[in-house]
Amino acid sequence: MKRLIALAVIIGSAIIVSSWPSYGQRDPNARCLLECHGKPDFKREVAPGQFKSLYVDYEQFKASVHKEKLCVDCHTDVTVIPHQRRPEQIHCLQCHYQGNVVGAPVSERPEKYKESVHGKAFERGDPNAPDCKSCHTVHAVRPPTDPLSPVYRANIPKTCASCHVEIYTEYLEGVHGQALRNNVLESAVCSDCHREHDLFPPDDPRSSLHPQNVANTCARCHTDVKIMERRGVPVKQVEAFKKSFHGIAIEFGILRSANCVSCHEYHKILSSRDPRSPIHPLNLAQTCGQCHPNASSNVARGRFHIIPSDPDAGIVFWVYEFYRWLTIVMTAGFIFYIVLDLYGRWRHARRSSHG
Amino acid sequence: MPSEQLLELSEERTIERINLQLRVQHFALMVSVTLLILTGLALLYRDSAFGRFLIALEGGFEARGTIHRIAAGLLIATAFYHLFYILFSRAGHEEFMQMLLRAQDFKDYGAALLYDLGLRAQRPQLDRYSYREKFQYWAFALFVVIMIISGFILWFHDWFFGLLPKWAFDVALAVHSGTGTLILIVLTLWHLYLVHLAPGRFPIDWSFWDGKISEKQLQQEHPLEYKRLKEKGVL
Repeated sequence: MKRLIALAVIIGSAIIVSSWPSYGQRDPNARCLLECHGKPDFKREVAPGQFKSLYVDYEQFKASVHKEKLCVDCHTDVTVIPHQRRPEQIHCLQCHYQGNVVGAPVSERPEKYKESVHGKAFERGDPNAPDCKSCHTVHAVRPPTDPLSPVYRANIPKTCASCHVEIYTEYLEGVHGQALRNNVLESAVCSDCHREHDLFPPDDPRSSLHPQNVANTCARCHTDVKIMERRGVPVKQVEAFKKSFHGIAIEFGILRSANCVSCHEYHKILSSRDPRSPIHPLNLAQTCGQCHPNASSNVARGRFHIIPSDPDAGIVFWVYEFYRWLTIVMTAGFIFYIVLDLYGRWRHARRSSHG
Repeated sequence: MPSEQLLELSEERTIERINLQLRVQHFALMVSVTLLILTGLALLYRDSAFGRFLIALEGGFEARGTIHRIAAGLLIATAFYHLFYILFSRAGHEEFMQMLLRAQDFKDYGAALLYDLGLRAQRPQLDRYSYREKFQYWAFALFVVIMIISGFILWFHDWFFGLLPKWAFDVALAVHSGTGTLILIVLTLWHLYLVHLAPGRFPIDWSFWDGKISEKQLQQEHPLEYKRLKEKGVL
């Protein structure tokens, strides 16, 4: 009986503790939260009449990757609570550096970020430049696999839109944005083309969007047979492009040559069936005309992205096959002729030496 | 024996069988086609070490294209010069008339095959231009026309955009590279074999340079021409 009561007490107190505000008395972070940062209206006047919220949503923190951490693990300059001075701004690299002892995961991403457009702008002191927390949030950092994370695939466009709102609206109109809105998670989001941390301007050879890299960037999805079959999109386009005039010229450094986005646009990519699309047959003359001033409706008469050895190439396939067989037959014929000629000469020489 | 005497004499004495006009035209053709093939192959095999070597040799990708177009200019000039030569010069016109295909050429070709196989005792009696020269001449004439037309479409695509449908450019490209490959095969396996590599001529027959042929060779390979020249008293 005594044991039963003890069990009931333990279970009961466990229920009480767990239904307590989650920063129970035993939570070492409770000191920070109970008095100040746990209150939704806790704020500081940064300028007369202007306030900055200092509230920390502890529920969110407890769901984050840092849930095991103490406030003072990051805010290391807080040695007395309540602190007397405004704590210094913290930095992710306080923990996420090579050889750290607290077990913070380390990757090359911060270094990549420093080289990126965002990192460079931040270094210049641009007040709008994003740093880690702009995308990963401050206290509610979740892994990219968590659907509530701002860096979860489906949330990335919205996260980028907090600065790039005009591009976001364009993106939503394009095929990729439309697909994402229809919960097609394999559709391209900002970071698939722009990358996340190593995000460079297109004129930088390291950029995924440098003219010489665009086709490979698109190829990451557009050569994936499974994805393309699921979405009903042809899969040989990139290969055909690389074999085309434009693709070869780009490969050899003639950057003025057309790449994928020269014709397909980028944020607002539309199907060729869409009359607004630059690759709609009726718009092709204008699209090609950007570089080829004489382009007329003629440019719509024929197939695009053809591989000569592929039956889908139509007449070009037959011309290719004709030449292939002609070359094979003629090569065989010439070799036969040479052998015969040598045989004839040998026979003749033998006969005349005998005669 | 008199026949042996004749052979020895004939081997030493040579006559100019190909005149300077034709030699210059052939030389221009040889230079331009060689350059066109090397720069064309560089593009066709750009993904291989061989192609990259050729591109480097030609001074880079854009220089490769420039050389190709300069060589094309030389080929086109040569083709037109040749056209004028056979149309408006007496000597050229006479050469051309002998180059026309006749039924006899196909009979000669069959006879030569049978002779090589040992099914016929006599070598066919060939004239100045036999089935070998004629087939090569007409094959290359056709190739040059095809390459100039398809090459022009590709070279001046910006202008042709107003004229031709998109598929015509794709066909022009397939024809240009297909014919180019064929030309390479015909040149190496047939033309070079016949004129330089075959036994008795290896490693090189200098007649492309000086136009000369020994009387013996003339008698063996072009007996009808030999007979005619002998009758005329040229020999």
